[in-house]
Formats: sequence, C-alpha cells, structure tokens
Amino acid sequence: MSVLCVCVFQGTIHPFRKTHRSMVGKLVQEFRLVSSDRRSWRILVFGVLNLLCTGCLLMWCSSTNSMALTAYTYLTIFDLFRTHCRMFERLEVLSVFASTVLVQLGALFILKESVERFMEQPEVHTGRLLVGTFVALFFNLLTLLSVRNKPFSYVSEAASSSWLQEHVADLSRSVCGVVPGLSSILLPRMNPFVLINVCGALSLCITYTLIETNNYNAVDTASAVTIALMTFGTMYPMSVYSGKVLLQTTPSHVIGQLDKLLREVSTLDGVLEVRNEHFWTVGFGSLAGSAHVRIRRDANEQLVLAHVTNRLLPLVSTLTVQIFKDDWTRPLLTSVLAPPPSEGHAHFSDADPLTSTPSKQTPPPEFSFHTPGRNVAPVVFPAPSPHAHRPYAGLGLSYLGVPTAPRPGPGPGPGLGPRPHAHAHSFRTSSVNLGFGSNSQYRHYMP
Amino acid sequence: MEDKYSSNVLSAGKLGMVEVPEAKLMRYIVLLVISKVFKALGIFESYDVLKYVHIVQFIFILKLGSAIILLFFQKPFSSGKVITKRQWIKLLKHAVFSCVISLLGFFGLTLCGPLRALLLFEHSDVVVIALLGVLFTNTGGGPSKTRGAAFFIIAVVCLLLFDNDDLMAKMAEHPEGHHDSHLTHFLYTSISFLGLADHKGGVVLLVASLCLKVAFHTASRKLSVELGGAKRLYALDNLVCAVVLLPWVVVLSATTESKVESWSSLVLPFGMIVLSVMILEFYVESVCSAKMEAPRCARYGAVALFLSGLLLANFWTHPLTDQLWSVGKPPQQLSTEHVLSGGVLVSALFFIMSSSILSSPSRKGQKGTLVGYSPEGTPLYNFMGDALQHTSQSLPRFIKDSLKQILEEYDSRQIFYFLCLNLAFTFVELFYGVWTNSLGLISDGFHMLFDCSALVLGLFAALMTRWKATRIFSYGYGRVEILSGFINGLFLMVIAFFVFMESITRLLDPPNINTDMLTPVSVGGLLVNLVGICAFSHAHSHGAKSCHAHGSHAHGSHAHGGHGHSHSSGSGMNANMRGVFLHVLADTLGSVGVIISTILIRQFGWLIADPICSLFISSLIFLSVIPLIKDACEVLLLRTPPEHEKELNAALEKIEKMDGVLSYRDAHFWRHSANTIAGTIHLQVMSDVVEQRIIQQVTPVLKDAGVNNLSVQVEKEAYFQHMSGLSTGFQEVLTMTQQMESMKCLNDGTCIM
Repeated sequence: MSVLCVCVFQGTIHPFRKTHRSMVGKLVQEFRLVSSDRRSWRILVFGVLNLLCTGCLLMWCSSTNSMALTAYTYLTIFDLFRTHCRMFERLEVLSVFASTVLVQLGALFILKESVERFMEQPEVHTGRLLVGTFVALFFNLLTLLSVRNKPFSYVSEAASSSWLQEHVADLSRSVCGVVPGLSSILLPRMNPFVLINVCGALSLCITYTLIETNNYNAVDTASAVTIALMTFGTMYPMSVYSGKVLLQTTPSHVIGQLDKLLREVSTLDGVLEVRNEHFWTVGFGSLAGSAHVRIRRDANEQLVLAHVTNRLLPLVSTLTVQIFKDDWTRPLLTSVLAPPPSEGHAHFSDADPLTSTPSKQTPPPEFSFHTPGRNVAPVVFPAPSPHAHRPYAGLGLSYLGVPTAPRPGPGPGPGLGPRPHAHAHSFRTSSVNLGFGSNSQYRHYMP
Repeated sequence: MEDKYSSNVLSAGKLGMVEVPEAKLMRYIVLLVISKVFKALGIFESYDVLKYVHIVQFIFILKLGSAIILLFFQKPFSSGKVITKRQWIKLLKHAVFSCVISLLGFFGLTLCGPLRALLLFEHSDVVVIALLGVLFTNTGGGPSKTRGAAFFIIAVVCLLLFDNDDLMAKMAEHPEGHHDSHLTHFLYTSISFLGLADHKGGVVLLVASLCLKVAFHTASRKLSVELGGAKRLYALDNLVCAVVLLPWVVVLSATTESKVESWSSLVLPFGMIVLSVMILEFYVESVCSAKMEAPRCARYGAVALFLSGLLLANFWTHPLTDQLWSVGKPPQQLSTEHVLSGGVLVSALFFIMSSSILSSPSRKGQKGTLVGYSPEGTPLYNFMGDALQHTSQSLPRFIKDSLKQILEEYDSRQIFYFLCLNLAFTFVELFYGVWTNSLGLISDGFHMLFDCSALVLGLFAALMTRWKATRIFSYGYGRVEILSGFINGLFLMVIAFFVFMESITRLLDPPNINTDMLTPVSVGGLLVNLVGICAFSHAHSHGAKSCHAHGSHAHGSHAHGGHGHSHSSGSGMNANMRGVFLHVLADTLGSVGVIISTILIRQFGWLIADPICSLFISSLIFLSVIPLIKDACEVLLLRTPPEHEKELNAALEKIEKMDGVLSYRDAHFWRHSANTIAGTIHLQVMSDVVEQRIIQQVTPVLKDAGVNNLSVQVEKEAYFQHMSGLSTGFQEVLTMTQQMESMKCLNDGTCIM
C-alpha cells in the first residue's frame, strides 16, 4: 500500500501530480515510507541518476551544438518518466499517455528547430558527441533493463507495432531467409524502446563519422529529424492505445468476444433486446461495462439478471445491468380486458408523478412461468471446503439449502436467515465512495 | 527459403504466379544484361556527341535512323490493318509527346552528364508506378515498399545535395554564353528561374520527365492495341517523329552554323547510338518481358544498367579509352567533367537497392481478413473487402463538407477564423522574411506555425466532438474535447519548459539582440493575438463562470437540475476551448514580453531584461495551465465531478431512505464529456418490491443530481441465490465477496465477526 501511495507524491518523477495535495508534512512522511522499502529505494536512486545524466547530457548538447544529440537526450528524459512505480490503475494509463504525448511534443519541437537549422547550419563540434551518445545509450539500456515498468511494458506489447518495428521485422525476416540460424534472435517482436535507443545511437554514430570525415554539418540536422521521426513512430501507437483507454472506448480486440457474449445474452429465455451497451477499460486490461436489457413482461427479472451477469462476468469484471419491462404497471393476466391505469413506461427518462411513491399493493412478479421461485433455490453449493473462508459468506446471504456446517473464518453469523436489517447493514457503503478515480474507491480494486 | 518465414500462407511463392525455373531464363537474362551494357555505352557516347551536335538535330537523326531500320524490320505499312485517319491524328499527338519527352531527357543528359542521367531517367515503369503508389496512396504494399520509396528519395536528395559536381563551377562562368538556340535558352532560363544550379536543375528536370515518361507509356497502351502491337506503334512513332522534327531541323540548319566539321566522322557514333539505345534495347526488352514477368525484368535491367554506368563513368575519360575511340571522335577537350563523387556513388547504391526493392513482387496477400476455417482445417481468407469498401471521396467535396461542418457551430467557427488569421500572419511574415533575407523573421514564422498546430488540434477536436457514437465510441466522441484540452495543456507545459531552459542559458550569458526587427513583428503578433483573445474570451468567460457558479454556490444549479445543465452544454466546462484560449493567452504574453524587453534594452541597455522577461512569462504560462490540466486529469481519471459531489451524496442518502431499498453498492458517477455525466449503481431491495418501480423512483432522483446517463441494477436476495446456483461464476463471486469484505473493513472500520 505504501508504494502505491508513494508514487503519487514523488515530485521528481511526476511533477504535475504533486499539485493535487502538496502538503509538506505528508511528503516527508511518504519519503520516510519510501526509504523503508527496498524497491522504491532503487527507483529513487535511478531517478536521481537519471536526472544527473540528463543534466550532464544537456550541458554537452549545448557545448557540442548538436541538434541530434539533443533529440537523443529527450529520450533519456522519457526514461525519467518511465521509472515511476505502480500506481492506481487509471492513473497508470494517464501517466503513460502523458509521457508519450510529452515526448512527441518534444519531438515536434526538435522538428521545428531543425527546420530553422536547415536554413542556417551552425558548426557542430564533435568532441563530446560520441561520448554523449554512448553515455546516453548505456544509461538508457541500463534503465530499460533494470527497472521493470508494468504499464509501459503492457502498452508496448498491446499497442500496434510502430513503423520502426515493422521495418525491422521485415528486414530481419529477409535476413533470416539467408541465415536461418538467426531466427530465434531476430524474429521475435523487438522491444520498441530498445529499438529506438539503438537506432538513435546508430544514426548519431553515422553523423559523427560524416562530420569527422567530410565536415557535412547538415547531417546533424538530418539525423535529428530522423530521431524525431523515429520517436514519433515509436510513441504514436502507444499514445493512441492509452488515449483510447482514456476516451472510454470499447477496446477493439474484445469486440468479437463481446459480440458473441451479447448474442448469447439476447438468446436467453425472456430477453427481448440488449441496448445502450457501454464497455470500456478502467485500467489496462480490466473491463467495465453497463447495459440495458429489455425483457418479456412475464419473465423473472432476478433470474434473467443472474443469467446475464453470469454470462458477461468472466469478461467484464465491473458490470451493471439494468433490466426493464414495457408496460409493467398493467397486471399480467387481465391486460387484454382492463385498460391500463396509466401509460407509464419503464423508461427511466420520464418521471411519472403517479408512480413516485411506492405502492405496496402491487403483486410481486415472482409467479411467472420459467422461474423456480425464490424459495426453491436450486443451490448447487460446493461441499464444505477447507478454505479459510467461504466464498459467499461475506455477501451476507442466506441460503436455505446450505448445510449448516461449522463455519470457519469471518462468516456473517448474525447475518443468517431472512432478516432485512442484516442485509441493510452489510451492504451499506459509506457515501464517500464515489467514482472510479477517487482515492478511497480504488482500495477495493486491489486484492 | 524466404517463404518459410513469411507469416501468410498466401505469400507470393505458393499461390501467386507460377515462376519459371531460373535455368531456362538464363539466356534471356544474359541478353538483357548485354543490351543494358550497350545502352549505357550508347548514352555515354551520345553525351559526347551532344557537345557538338545541336539537340534537335541529334534527336532527328536518332529518330530517322531508327525509323529506317524499323521500317525495314517491321514493315508497318505492308503488314497489319490499314491505319485510319483518326489513328493517324492520334499517332501525330503521340509522336509530338514522345519528341518532347526525348528532348527533355537528352537535355537533362547534357546538363548532368551520362551517369546521373542514367541513374535518374532509366527506371522502368514498374518501379516508378510502385514508387508513386507508395507516395500517394495508402495501400503501398507493406513496409518493404515504403523502404524502397524512402531509398529512392534519399538517392535523389543525395544527388541534389551531396554531389559536388565539378562542372557546376564551370557552368556558372558562362551561364548565357554558349546556348545554341531558343529552345535550350528557354530551358536554361526556366531552370535558373527556379533558383537552382544547372546540374541540380538537370536532376529535377530528369525526375519530372521520368514521371512524364511513365505516364506517357501508360497512356499509349491503348493506342498500341489499336494499331496492332507495340512494335508497329514504335516504328510508326519514330517515323512520325522524324517527320515532325524535319521542318525545325531545316530551319535550324539554315539559320545557325553548325559546329560539326565533318558529318562523316559522326556516322559511326550515330550508328552505334541508334543501334544500342533505340533498336537493340527495345527488342530485347520486349522479348524479355514476354518471357519473364515485368518486375524481374526491371530488376535485372536496372542493376545491369546502373553498374555498367558506374564502370563506364570511371573509365570513359581514361587515357586508354581515349586512344581506343580517337578514331571516330574529335580529340577530348574537357577531361574532368561529371566525374564520380562520393555522393553519386552513394546515390547509385541507393538507386540500385530501391529499384530492386520496388520491383520485387508485392505481397498483397497479407491484407486478407480471416473468414473461417475449411473442413480440412486450413484458414480461409477474404480479399474482396478491400476493393469493395474502398470508396474515396473527391478532395474538393471533402473540403467543402468539412468547411460546412466547421462553420456550423460557434466553437469551431471561432477557432477556424482565428487559425486563418494566424496562418495569414505567419505566411506574410515568412514571405517578408525570405524577401528581406532576415533569419529572425523566418524563425519567428516557423514558431508561429508551431503554435498553429495547437489550434489545428483544437479545431479537429471540436469537429470530432460532433461525430455520432459508434460501436467503439459507445458514448459518442464528446470526450475527445477533454483529451484535446489535456494535450494542449501538455503542449503549453512543453513550451514553458523550453522557454525556461532557454532563458536560463541566456541569463548566464546574455547575448546581444538586434532589436530593429523585433518591435513591428511583436506588435503585429500582439494585435493578432488580441483579436484571438477577444474572440475566445466570450466562450471562455462562459466556461469560467459556470465553473465558478458550481464551485461557489452549488445549490444554485441544484434548483433547476438537469434542465439547466442541458442548456449550458455548449460552453460550460469545455476543456478544448480553454486549452486554445490559454494558448492564445500565452502567445499574447510572449508578444508583450518581447515589447517590454525591447523597450528596456533600447532605453537602458539592460540586456538581462530579455531572459528575465521570458523567465517570468514561462512561469506565468506554467501556472495558468495547471488548473486546466488538473480539471482534465480529474475527468480522464473518471473522478466523481466535484461540482456535483454534494448533490450526489444527498441523492444517495435519499435513495437509501426509500421504501424497500436496503442498500446500494458500486455507486460510480463520472463526467464523460462536457454534457454527459454517466453513472452506474447497484441497489439491493427487499424481495417484495417491484424492481421497475424502484428504477423509476431512483432515476429522477439521480437525474436531479446531474446524472443523465444512468444504469441501475436492482438486486434481490433471489439474484444472489441464482448467482450461487450458476456456479460457473465461482471465481467471480469469490472475488466479489472479497471486495465486499475489504470494503467493509476499510470503510466501516469494523469487521463482522
């Protein structure tokens, strides 16, 4: 838990987030927490090292007057963004998006500067150029390989491959056509960060040789443009991927699966149609969704709800299903003879003043055809297992068919039996818990 | 071997064209290579000849000679169909075009020498069409084609930039001196008008005429079918060309004196050129393209041609060859022109690579969509979709439509007008900068262009917001606006960061600033930006006011609930417009800062005023962006909208007190876009309550609190029984249980033991 909170407060690593709650006392406290954890120590050390390295490189950039080295240094700054540790799911997505977009904006700036440089090419001093390149390359690779960043590795695997990756894959495929032995090294998908670091270093080396031998200063600008373009190519798919998560879109790779499940749902007994379905990802990978299901008037709502939820729950972990019926105010059997008392619809949009108070007289629709009824309860319960706690115990439910075996663990002892107060107590949540993103709400997404 | 690694079953080797084994084709390949070597020889020879013979005369003799030989071989009049009058007219047009193209080609040859002309002009149609396909359409055919196109461009750029041709200096000495006729004079002046050196002009000319040549070949296919074969067309075309050029040649030889001493010594070179360039190459090419497929033909031909060109360029002006050729030629005068340079070598390498990549068969098969599996288990692909669904809109119509969309709504209209104003100012600045050759102006113009990209982003987001909801964007595109505001905020942060860094380096070492040009530019920029502020402040003040209203007296909007909210949808909380406004504001601040620092520097000579000003401005920009980024972050993180938090809490309390409602869980409310607040809630109710009635009661309560896209899941005890009955969801219910437990522990502080 401490590590989770720490990252939000690490000023060096996330300069923007600090403004949310920049209380000095808390910061000191969190710093103490950081120093107690080994992993966050490592991250802190890397952050400081990265800062030092970046500062050094920036000084060399101004001394060599090389645009290409500047462009390469910004990749190092990107590594600084990368070194933050675990955070809340949604914040992870936002941080990935923000850092990829920032790097792309930096590349845009480099492009603009290089256009200006094409018109008047200043002299480039090659003294520190090669040293800077290798220091930056070494440091980048060190950071990349030693600090595992979960969200970034997830995004780099899940996002579509960049043009750099595609070209490398294409080239290596033809190389493997000539030398089949290399296939195990070359054919797997390259890590985009390693790839861009190596390519950038390569283009800097070419720049160095060309400037040294032929004094072509324009090569420096050209390779700066190349590095900027490669940065664009690498970061663009990732920012698109994380941006789509932020835009609350249905991820396109699960659409096929979702469609299949929704088709299954619409063929369930009693279901007429599924509409207003919204599915989106909360963090990387965890799907949330809501849907409205219209059912037949005589169907059992709770049974259909249970079936629908049961179908969708394996894919969509946070699910809300609203069931509605048309003309539910009319009594079922006399609907043909008696005119309905009011044309109230089940649509939630119109607030009917007639039904604003609950009428207890309405018969519960539990007597429809296909339901076993709530008292029958076909419970197929797993045999009393040696688990530490029972799977359904915490829900505060009462199962009539449950063998009253000795209950280990924190089972809701007083919650047994049809006592509504017990339910009311156990389901009550504090009203502070709103929204996905609020701090306290996140606690119950974590194991 | 390569097919083993291609990901698709349908790659070129297996299901594509049936390839003839290499051994049978060997003699054709050898023939092709020999003809290409001879062609390279002929081109080198014709470059030498063109030094003495006028270009029109040269082409006339070439066409006439080949026409005579071809008439002898093909017999176009005695065999085949009779040519009608209409076909003669078409043939005439065709001939005129081919004359123009060969004129341009040979003129390019005189400008940049034989090797460069070979490299640039002698590409086969397959290569050029593949190149154009990659450059101008999206369906190029995979990354390898893109690489080939990039190589081609790099090669041309190498020739343009890195080729230090010795002849350039010499040409510069007598730019108008030795032009023989009006035609060449016209071409020279048009090239010098473009502001290029002759050699570079030749490169550009050759590339243009290469494209023309390919287009001409493609267009003349129909005519060749009409006339009964490409060979007959070629023969007739040469003849008509000679006829067309005849009057010009007569006039030329009457008016100008020829530089040639004896035509008889030129008979042998001309014969060789005609044979190698016009006849042999044509016949071998047609035979080879009949026996082999065109791409392979192009590949071998290009490699042979370029390599032999490189070899010849090395040995052509060698003393040994001088002795060999001195029989038929006047003695060499200029021995060091159009020599090999590093740039040419590199570009020749790139040309060879690009032509071999571009002419390799494309693997279109990789684009197929998987349909299903056959009974045997092999995958089935569908290739039709691409061709059928690909309908492209015409460009003018697209522009018209998008303009109409932009002008429809207030926000996008404002951004669009301001963008136009900004662009106009930028281009005036750029042109004036180029005119007066002032680097400061040009760089400022580029800076403005850089800023315009933020405006373009805002405009695009404002357009996208109105798109209809799709399967993927199930709530609609309203959230794009917030994302664009966020990106614009990040953009401003980057700008502030760079200005900050720059000003710190200047603070340590204040440079001398030339203030002459600064004042008018910055005043102009200030005026433009002031217009922008006036235009956007209306929208922004709306946004700010509505925010304030929410923040200070939240119960004010509570009174008229959802109704008031739908009204303020246009301008309230519009992050996109806020981002654009802040951008304009930052630019204005920049202009003001420049003006102030200019005055200070002029009056008091404080050079340090400039960095201090920019330091101040950058921190101002930074501070002004923070609220925008914070708000956008909150929305993007799906936080409960803070301005509705109180009402929502009240609504939840009210719901809990309703008859029949036991409790609620998983209450999530978040702002989706400017005018949508979505929410999901799970209610636990008593078993004797009608669910629909509960939904009907809960919905208006939450709607009053501002939630206008709601899903309510009503659960009874029976639901949990059913869920446990459907034991497939064991794991899920387990996790649900754990969640409930942890929630209880954290929030109530007590565990139920």
